[in-house]
Amino acid sequence: MDPGSDSDLSLDEGNLTVRGRNKAARAKGIDPTKDKGKGKAKDQGYAWEANYTRSWDTVQEDEGGSLQGAVEELMARGRRRRLLAPAAAIRRTIIRHLILLLDLSASMMDRDMRPTRFDLTLEYAREFVTEWFDQNPLGQVGVVAMRGGIGERIGEMSGNPQDVLKALSERHKLEPTGEPSLQNAIDMARSSMSHLPTHSSREILIIFGSLTTVDPGNIFDTLQSCIKDKIRISLVALAAEMKICRELCDKTGGQFGVAMNEGHFKDLLFELIPPPAQRAVARTTGGGTTNPAADLMMMGFPMRLPDTSPPSLCVCHAEMRTAGFLCPRCMAKICDVPTDCDVCGLMIVSSPHLARSYHHLFPVKPYIAVMTLDNAPKPTSICHACSLPFKVQPAASVTDGMSPLGRYRCPTCSNDFCTDCDVFVHDVVHCCPGCEK
Amino acid sequence: MDKASHLSLILDISPSQWHLSASPSNAFPLSFKTFLSHVLTFLNSHIAAMHENSLAVFGALPGKSVMLYSSTDTAEGADVVAADPNAYRPFKLVDSLVMRNIQRELELLGDPEEEAPIALVGALTKALCYINRITHIPTGAATEDPAVLIDPRILILSVSPDLSSSYIPVMNSIFSAQKYKITIDVCKVFGADTVFLQQAAHLTGGSYIYLERRDALLQYLIMSFLPPPAMRQVIAVPKQDKVDFRAACFCHKDIVDIAFVCSVCLSIFCSPVPVCSTCRTKFPIKTLQRLNASRPSLPPSANGTPRPGARQNTPLATSLR
Repeated sequence: MDPGSDSDLSLDEGNLTVRGRNKAARAKGIDPTKDKGKGKAKDQGYAWEANYTRSWDTVQEDEGGSLQGAVEELMARGRRRRLLAPAAAIRRTIIRHLILLLDLSASMMDRDMRPTRFDLTLEYAREFVTEWFDQNPLGQVGVVAMRGGIGERIGEMSGNPQDVLKALSERHKLEPTGEPSLQNAIDMARSSMSHLPTHSSREILIIFGSLTTVDPGNIFDTLQSCIKDKIRISLVALAAEMKICRELCDKTGGQFGVAMNEGHFKDLLFELIPPPAQRAVARTTGGGTTNPAADLMMMGFPMRLPDTSPPSLCVCHAEMRTAGFLCPRCMAKICDVPTDCDVCGLMIVSSPHLARSYHHLFPVKPYIAVMTLDNAPKPTSICHACSLPFKVQPAASVTDGMSPLGRYRCPTCSNDFCTDCDVFVHDVVHCCPGCEK
Repeated sequence: MDKASHLSLILDISPSQWHLSASPSNAFPLSFKTFLSHVLTFLNSHIAAMHENSLAVFGALPGKSVMLYSSTDTAEGADVVAADPNAYRPFKLVDSLVMRNIQRELELLGDPEEEAPIALVGALTKALCYINRITHIPTGAATEDPAVLIDPRILILSVSPDLSSSYIPVMNSIFSAQKYKITIDVCKVFGADTVFLQQAAHLTGGSYIYLERRDALLQYLIMSFLPPPAMRQVIAVPKQDKVDFRAACFCHKDIVDIAFVCSVCLSIFCSPVPVCSTCRTKFPIKTLQRLNASRPSLPPSANGTPRPGARQNTPLATSLR
């Protein structure tokens, strides 16, 4: 959470309670749609019905009249909220698939959020993507826009944050125009996730600035197919609450929020970053006694065919395609990974996709700061990794844990590394150049 | 081409593989000596393409990786090289330093009974650390133009087969290259396709080229690897053929195409195991029975061998042609 964020938390909780009650109503077997009007009327369900809280009142000056304490408390609260979340042992999805659905209709040019809704959305979307990939290194994000009454694919599903950020940074290509169509855009997002294996998470995050939607058909059909496909839809509205928007979120188990100001908008977005708890999947072959979360999965690693290969029929769409992936077991051709093979049912993943998490499993041992060269028989004069010459004269003043010579030694291979390489090896490469592990 | 580019070249110096490569029984024998003369010409063209272009050469030797040349650290070597009126000084410098260092390392290697595995990962991580060093100019030298060095790339000239034990380090290097927008190009000079280097080139947007006419090495190098990645969008460079997405299992370091994956830590095993060796998770016995029953009856082919039909077209594709 950033210090500039000045949302008020009380309303946030109001939203949560409303959603919670709806769930409870569903659990009791009461149709939530009937109950909804009553429930709404009883207490603050809509953003504009909420008590107006002055956000500046929640910030208290300390004795010296400084806001530093208040800001630090806000930041600490944000961190704590994040830390508190995984306390209970719930299974969270590790491989997430998210489609970011941006409203690029004319209403996004409104200036009620500075500089415009559109510019702010792009800026926050970029921050969101960066943070999202930090917390979900195995996830994949695609970007779809709604503009001119149709859904437009801006960025393909990708596990590389650079690709997604690039798609979001080309502002001239994203100029808002026309009317939005929720149905078209959701259908497009749904179809780009249709190939995913059954147990993987599918999410759609909609940033919606309009108060209308131009749909070619019945949007409730789309909603039903989303429920059937287990797609979780979350929506952040920039204008006001629409019934269909709340319905989309409630029925699919997502979160709904109306942004009141810039800070609240960011908070609503960033609340969606931590991995959601996985839905209870009906297990056909459940172990029962052992930890149900742990299981061994059979996976296949495909071969990718180039664009120049002779065209052949794919098993997923039955169309002639050149590029594609081959199932290692039945050699059927599939358009996208990860997926379940349509012929033999094998789960097909690309191995680099799995390998992204391995540096957590096998971390590089911390290097030891070299304090003196007295007991080293023949010290090397250059860094083992980048060949930077070491300092000859030790630094006069050293803080704890720092080497006066700027040398850090690997405990396994006993090679010396410079400060920059020490940081680079442990933070980025996760592999020691000396011992190759 | 208005911006300077950096090239880190990784030479795979495996005496046994080069011996095999030079044997006249091959269709196009290529000896290490001819190879080096082609590579030095390529390096000279890289320097000549633009004055600001920088260069680093790393050698991957059995069990050891060394830096053979770098354009920033030539001060100590420059005085050793005798001036030659018939040679352009920068070319002469590169050629003689690279040759001298290779010779020194090969003599140090001695004559061991069994060749240690090639330290390709060491060379790759060193190249990454070096690029990290030159792209992050220390704050003291802030006057330099920060945009001087863009487009860093790594070119691997590989002759050795895949080292399945180094699967995780190679993948980690690939992801860091991806993060720092470093392109990894691979030229497979000799031997079978390597799965991990194919993935490296694919994931970092580089090209993987299997050398078919090995006597035309220099032409391959100049036509496809000399232009920096920014230029390659404009000119048509040979593209990668196929990408093999296989992985190495954690238990036997075999390269497998169908594997069993722990749902907690995503460790890869080549056969169903009752307990995950990495995170100590116990798996339900019913899963094990089910997986054992559904295993393919034929055990996977021997360690690290190429996938059947890897170089030919697949049955489905051929039947439709």
